[in-house]
Amino acid sequence: MIATLLTRVRYGAVIAIGVVVAVLPLLTGDRYLIGKVLVFVALNLIIVSGLALVFGFAGQISLGHAAFCGLGAYTTGFLVTTLDWPPLLGVVAAVLISGLGGLALALPSLRLKGHYLAMATLGFNEIMSVLFVEMDAVTGGNNGLSGIPYFSVAGARFDTPALNYWLVWGVAAVVLALAYNIVRGRPGRAMRALHGSEIGALASGVDTTRLKVQVFGLSAAFAGLAGALYAHSVGFVSPTTFSLETSVILVAMVVIGGSGSLAGPVMAAVVLTLVPYADALVPGLSADTVALMQDWEADVYGILMIGVIILAPGGLGRLLVSRRDRRVAEAGEAA
Amino acid sequence: MTLLAVRDLTKRFGGLTAVDGVSFDVHEGAIKAVIGPNGAGKSTLFNLLTGFEKADAGQVTLAGEPLLGRRPSDIVGCGVARTFQNTQLFEELTVAENVLVGLHRRLKAGLGRSALRIAVRSEERWAEREAARLLALIGIERWAETPAADLPQGVRRSCEIARALATGPRVLLLDEPAAGLNRSETDALGSVLYRIRDAGVTTVVVEHDMGLVMEVSEEIVVLDRGRKIAEGPPLLIQKDPAVLEAYLGEEPDDEL
Repeated sequence: MIATLLTRVRYGAVIAIGVVVAVLPLLTGDRYLIGKVLVFVALNLIIVSGLALVFGFAGQISLGHAAFCGLGAYTTGFLVTTLDWPPLLGVVAAVLISGLGGLALALPSLRLKGHYLAMATLGFNEIMSVLFVEMDAVTGGNNGLSGIPYFSVAGARFDTPALNYWLVWGVAAVVLALAYNIVRGRPGRAMRALHGSEIGALASGVDTTRLKVQVFGLSAAFAGLAGALYAHSVGFVSPTTFSLETSVILVAMVVIGGSGSLAGPVMAAVVLTLVPYADALVPGLSADTVALMQDWEADVYGILMIGVIILAPGGLGRLLVSRRDRRVAEAGEAA
Repeated sequence: MTLLAVRDLTKRFGGLTAVDGVSFDVHEGAIKAVIGPNGAGKSTLFNLLTGFEKADAGQVTLAGEPLLGRRPSDIVGCGVARTFQNTQLFEELTVAENVLVGLHRRLKAGLGRSALRIAVRSEERWAEREAARLLALIGIERWAETPAADLPQGVRRSCEIARALATGPRVLLLDEPAAGLNRSETDALGSVLYRIRDAGVTTVVVEHDMGLVMEVSEEIVVLDRGRKIAEGPPLLIQKDPAVLEAYLGEEPDDEL
């Protein structure tokens, strides 16, 4: 009964947050907040949901997720601006290409473990970064691609900051729901098993290679979707956005959020995305302070990551769970 | 009827032949023991049967179907499950969740179906009932919600057996299930082995605890330095001169 109550409380919290997120554009017309900062939060939620599956649940690190994001952004950017494709097809193509890219990288790399997998995916990110610059007939080189229109489908245009905000958050909500359904079901169990003991997972009949490749492909597709929506939200893409540093920050979000948890990385993604844009939330923050925070962004993440590894190895997600368990236990004793 | 047939199975590691032309049959419904001094090749034998090591020569068939060359997860699908000398539990998962992972192949929901929750609920309900049934069969139902990392050694072994049974095996391979157990836990294990047999699962057990081996097994295979040196019912094996030689001849120990 207590468990049901807690479930209800949690569902209630999720709905309340959903309502606040949904009505926010009606309460404020702040273009910086609605048009940019909170859109970035939603996009990082999409990427981190996928990265939490492959890294937090299945235990396979990827330092290449920024590259998949870039692959998605450039795919739709090129198709929509240069070839005049409708944005819907551009985004669909972006998801497919980054998903296939994920499968192509996963097939050879997932035979590797630990540091070697980290190196392979890191190398992939670096190669893609070079390609984004060098393939300038498609990518626009260092200048990138500009003039990418807002998303539209069958006459419905998401061509104001508020409409775009709702679109991106709507997609983020769907992706989160899909990821949540995966982790609480049979594939999520198999992923946690693989993380715990690959030998044990094999002995339980889990085809671990297939599982790793599938999950990696799915999570690359999520990253590509986020990249494509980024391109349509911001209107231009440039190569520096999808650097290794971005991949490291994404991994930091999952580490700080905790392995084997979706809620933890989601919260970490929200907080860490907001750090460099604190001026959007805290009025009166001086430009110098903001510049300082942006300069120190990576250092802050690094320190947070070290702190989490030392003080709370399970990450934010674990803290939540153990607190919940304590509450259940106390309530049980009281009853 | 022969269920599992092992023929001329051979595995070399460099100059060492860990399993050397071993052949034996396991009859359906039997409890068969594999014994031998340390380094006799017992664990390697299990690794070959379950696809964790590649055999250099020989054949293994389950009800006529060849097993060698398949991946470990496919061999589980063929109906051969195992436990490990060093338990390979999922430490962060509860006992019930460990057993649910064992049901993996008997459930169908993949990434797509799970993400969209298509016919997932009824399947998961069935899985939870089946896991509860298995925990009760092995007698560890009161540990269901405990994370594997917090279990005492005896329950760890039982949890791994329950997980292996969850795969729906025809043959269950147990690698030293009594290692680390005290006397009463070992006795309880004996009755669990009988219950597993009564549930229709054929068992092959590698074990050092001779009391347990002599009590539960109908037939024993004795390995020494990779070779089969004897095979037969417990009473004959106990008196077999080659077996006594292997155990007592060169490096005396207290295992027999």
